[in-house]
Amino acid sequence: MKKIIATLTLILIATTSFAQNIDQSEQVKAFINDVGTQIIKIAADKKLSSEQRKSNIISVIDQSIDADWIARFVLAKNYNTASDSQKENFAKLYREFMINTYGPKFQNYNGRKFEVLSVSKQGNFYIAKSEFLPQDSKTPVDVSFRVKEKNGKLVILDFVAEGVSLIETQRSEFNSAISQKGMDQFLEDLKARIAKLKTQK
Amino acid sequence: MNKDYIAFFISIFLILFSFNSYSAKMDDISQDDFDDIEFTSENKFQIKDPLEKYNRKIFSFNESVDKCCIEYVARAYRKGMPKFARTSIRNFLNNLYSPISVFNSVLQGKTDNSLSNFSSFLINTTVGIGGIFDVAGKKGINYNQEDFGQTLGHYGFNYGFYIVLPILGPSSGRDFSGFLVDKSVNPIELNFLDIGGEENFINSNYRIGIAMMSGIDKRESFIDIIDDIRQDSFDPYATLRSAYIQRRDSEIKK
Repeated sequence: MKKIIATLTLILIATTSFAQNIDQSEQVKAFINDVGTQIIKIAADKKLSSEQRKSNIISVIDQSIDADWIARFVLAKNYNTASDSQKENFAKLYREFMINTYGPKFQNYNGRKFEVLSVSKQGNFYIAKSEFLPQDSKTPVDVSFRVKEKNGKLVILDFVAEGVSLIETQRSEFNSAISQKGMDQFLEDLKARIAKLKTQK
Repeated sequence: MNKDYIAFFISIFLILFSFNSYSAKMDDISQDDFDDIEFTSENKFQIKDPLEKYNRKIFSFNESVDKCCIEYVARAYRKGMPKFARTSIRNFLNNLYSPISVFNSVLQGKTDNSLSNFSSFLINTTVGIGGIFDVAGKKGINYNQEDFGQTLGHYGFNYGFYIVLPILGPSSGRDFSGFLVDKSVNPIELNFLDIGGEENFINSNYRIGIAMMSGIDKRESFIDIIDDIRQDSFDPYATLRSAYIQRRDSEIKK
């Protein structure tokens, strides 16, 4: 009898966790669909000025990504050698860098279609494989998002276009720049870049 | 001459074997927890670039050549040539390359890919008038480019080490070996390794013409990406290196 109860309990736990996974996958799908569609909608909205489009997209990106986590990831080994103030400064600058770099870029993404094709679980992450169909092309672009739940909220950690991961590429680029110029100079360059990005339309 | 090339080729393979260590793989990143160990693991995803000093010099040289000549030609090509004409030229070039894609798909044991590339070649060469029209693509038979670098990758060779080639740009030990094999096996390309003898299928002027057209078409397709890297990157060399290795890795896994 005990064995039967134990087996039933195990089955119940397994089924519940399986159901939770499916449920969570659906949530991830809805979340990415929502972010992608919002960006396309803003980019295609001709009523908005270029400045408004840029700021609306910046706000969507800012709410959807975990900039602190990504900042720590892209610093990689330099995270251990950086002082607390450098870390803090970098995290602050990195958030601004991300939203001001990709805000203006995404305002040109007035694609015809955005669709999440599948969501799979890899470790603690969800990978949402999606397709984006640009306005002037018949070939869809493969884009994937790496998503994680943080404090009960889903957040985007990475954007992979045609097999190239944004954060992995930035990690390589930033670490190479830091090893050549040193952390302080790199932070100065980052600050100067943000100032330049903010003045660009 | 023939023997020299074969010796060179064998040496490349030997280098590849000696570099048979960990390479950056996206799947490994995603399997990690990311929480603590990920940030402290030094060099885990560092790209093998023992020739970095030389590569950076070649990269600067390529940038100068590109900015003074190639980029202008590619922009003029985009501006002056209507889109349908550029698409036709791309279809034609893809069609010329498709026997090599069939060859590599077969070597990789990819039955679906082999059949679709073979059908695509047959249909486009005949109904598509020498490959100018992608008739097969419109019927849902998609062409998937496969090269010998991908074949080597399919059988477990990692990229070995990163290398920047003069004019041709980013490559790796594995992909450069593959490049030499593909060019030599293809009857209409430059037979670097003298495979099948020194005879060439078509006149060398045509081969050079095709190689140049193919280069302009490639550069035109990269205009926006290269503009972005030049404008946004703090170290364009490192950005291109990382993007190249990741992209090839993803093409091999397809």
